[in-house]
Amino acid sequence: MIRRILIGTFFLLMLSGCWDNKDINHRALPIAMGISFHQGEYKVYLDIPKVSVNNEGIDVVTANGDSISAAVNKISVNMESQVDLLHLKVIVVDEPFAKLGLEEITSNIIRSRHVSPKTMFVISDEPLDRFFTRINNETDGDGKEIYDFFQKDAGWNPEIAHTPVWKVFRSIHSYTNDVVVPIVKSGESTTIESMGSAILKNGRMVSRLNNEQTLFYNVFDGKSLEGKIEIMGHSTVQIVSSSIKNNGRFENNKPVLDSVLKLNVTILDTSGQTSIKDFQTKLKKLLDHEMDQIFQKMKRANADIFGIGQHFRNELPRTELAQWRSKYLPDARINLDIKTTVRNTGNLKLND
Amino acid sequence: MTVMDEVTDHFSAYPDFVNQKLQIAAETLTVTGLKSLINFPQTIYMFRDPLLTSAMNGLELIDVFTSLGQPISVDRNTIITEILDGMLVAVHEASGLVVSIYPVPQPNSRAISLPTMENSIGGANSAFNESLDNNIMMLRSHLNSADLQVKTYEFGNQVKNRVSLCFLDKTIDPMLLQNLKHKLESDPTTEITNMLELSHRLGFTKFTWVTHYMAFELPQNTARALKNGKAVLFIDRLPFSIVLPSLFSDLFMSEDDLNHPPIYSWLMRSLRFLGVMLTLILPGLYVALVSVNPDVLRFELAHSIARSRLDVPYPAVIEALLLLCVLELILEAIIRLPSSIGPTITMVGGIVLGQAVVDAKLVSNLLIIILATTTIANAAVVGYQNTYVLRLFKYLLLFLAAILGVLGIMSGLLIICAYIAGNRTLGIPYLQLIRPKGE
Repeated sequence: MIRRILIGTFFLLMLSGCWDNKDINHRALPIAMGISFHQGEYKVYLDIPKVSVNNEGIDVVTANGDSISAAVNKISVNMESQVDLLHLKVIVVDEPFAKLGLEEITSNIIRSRHVSPKTMFVISDEPLDRFFTRINNETDGDGKEIYDFFQKDAGWNPEIAHTPVWKVFRSIHSYTNDVVVPIVKSGESTTIESMGSAILKNGRMVSRLNNEQTLFYNVFDGKSLEGKIEIMGHSTVQIVSSSIKNNGRFENNKPVLDSVLKLNVTILDTSGQTSIKDFQTKLKKLLDHEMDQIFQKMKRANADIFGIGQHFRNELPRTELAQWRSKYLPDARINLDIKTTVRNTGNLKLND
Repeated sequence: MTVMDEVTDHFSAYPDFVNQKLQIAAETLTVTGLKSLINFPQTIYMFRDPLLTSAMNGLELIDVFTSLGQPISVDRNTIITEILDGMLVAVHEASGLVVSIYPVPQPNSRAISLPTMENSIGGANSAFNESLDNNIMMLRSHLNSADLQVKTYEFGNQVKNRVSLCFLDKTIDPMLLQNLKHKLESDPTTEITNMLELSHRLGFTKFTWVTHYMAFELPQNTARALKNGKAVLFIDRLPFSIVLPSLFSDLFMSEDDLNHPPIYSWLMRSLRFLGVMLTLILPGLYVALVSVNPDVLRFELAHSIARSRLDVPYPAVIEALLLLCVLELILEAIIRLPSSIGPTITMVGGIVLGQAVVDAKLVSNLLIIILATTTIANAAVVGYQNTYVLRLFKYLLLFLAAILGVLGIMSGLLIICAYIAGNRTLGIPYLQLIRPKGE
């Protein structure tokens, strides 16, 4: 018995590699990574909060390398602690790189497992050098703004797309699913400014949406959120809850998606006298118009950001499904039926 | 030389031996006994009174005399044993008849008082004490049942001691009773005066980690155990009852719970379960999260832990061991300390040392919080014997966590589960529910 325990302990100690464990204060925990690509070489920026007694901001360290891991390794070699990408929350790439394609780095990230698949993908609207210098040059703030900006329990807003790496990876390998990722740049009065979102098709940026379109995208995508919609020159409403039901069918060999979007809204402010009926029609008109624009954009880019193809997967064989984006999506029609309920007991009360 | 002379000779060196002649009418009686065990003035009064009035009632003195106690054989060893047991031995000179009388004893234990190790919030508060008869009296008053059986065994050759076995005839598990009786009756010559000797006698291995018995100071806990089909042993001069077997549920359930509304008693039991899990897991979890799997933490927490460990020189496991060692020392020292200075030492140990050790950057702030929680949670479990096993098992988890991280904690819990599942006390599995379920 004792011999068995001894042998067990021996193997436990020898096979676990426990002597390589590094304590948390000897690890550098970057919260954001910037990646740009110039002439076959990656440049990696790491945003590492300083571990010090009085919590004094953030270090931005950079390195070049033939691959991302080579660059990260170069940083790790030169730093006093080991770089540990486990807590990475945001990966920022610049627009040229996004247009070139993110397939390779996405699959590297997913397969290497050094980075959590829940990490957010973000596109910077300006060169990364400028972006990282400016977001970390604020005199106030602790340098973790970029982390909080995309946290759902902190600075995230319904106008910002929310796409983790695994969704990007899924979209690259899926015939019927594309994603939008947020576009940001360093702001004037705030640290970060949202510039809408980019449509990624197979990991390549093909088009972009503005902030408001991103909100509608989020609503249509079935995210439960409390976004505010401005009806031009008229009033502002807040979405209290939304739900969507989709049903796909073929009509003359062309895909048709019947969607019923139910919106519960309250009115935040209005100008002049309006009735609820009037209000509903205006909101519906606005939503129809905006959605139509997004659909047009989507069709032009041949990118299925709403995952419309998902509703036709049971009607198309796999060989046909492979051509979903090129053959079927441009012909797709969406019958959007918007049903709004105006909660007339909120902040403002309207006359009937 | 008569037998009584031999007995007197044997006790001649005893300063507390009394050998007194009593003259009642024409008859001479001799009473002997140890005055350290017998309250002589009262006993003699009690003894003499019926003899003096016998003539008046027209009874033969010799008949009254024999009815006062138990006639015993006129044998040196028997008489010596009776005297050492604290009996009054009276001899009728004329007939040579020897009678052993139950005397008024000298008080040999403290009065029934509050428990020292257990606390009861809603229930009775008088605890067992050192006197075995007293304890059985208390048990009987808590469990007034014709079913309650008490069997007393004598153990030891040189030093004699009594052990009483109590059980409820109809509810006790027959296998348990049979095992227990067999073990107790196998060899009456070995001494049983402490728990180790009893454990040895009952065949428990020396390397057991989980306790096989519960020791209760409060009679209501013992009565509940009896009703649940367990057996109870009393050892003379040990101020608690020994309940066999101890089950997993005894970690969480106490008789006192039944004096509170059911919701609260269930909440308290879940709290105790939480306490057990916390005391087992927390130190290991700290080590695992700090040195092996920091990715599990939220970033904010990871960052603040990293900051609190800034200048700490040791790896997390050494850090935790250092402080755990101090805590164990405090726990051990507190038992030896008189209650008057105990709180002072705790304060010095706990607050001053804790603060100083953080200021000196030997350990991180968070670890102090974790270890304080662990120690407090450890005390939430029912029964002092059960805290030992938790104190020990947390080190297993600590080391496994240092090696394998969160996975190590998981496998450690598995090892613990396997170990306690493999435990049996006198044929009763440790994980059995309160009452055995049918096959």
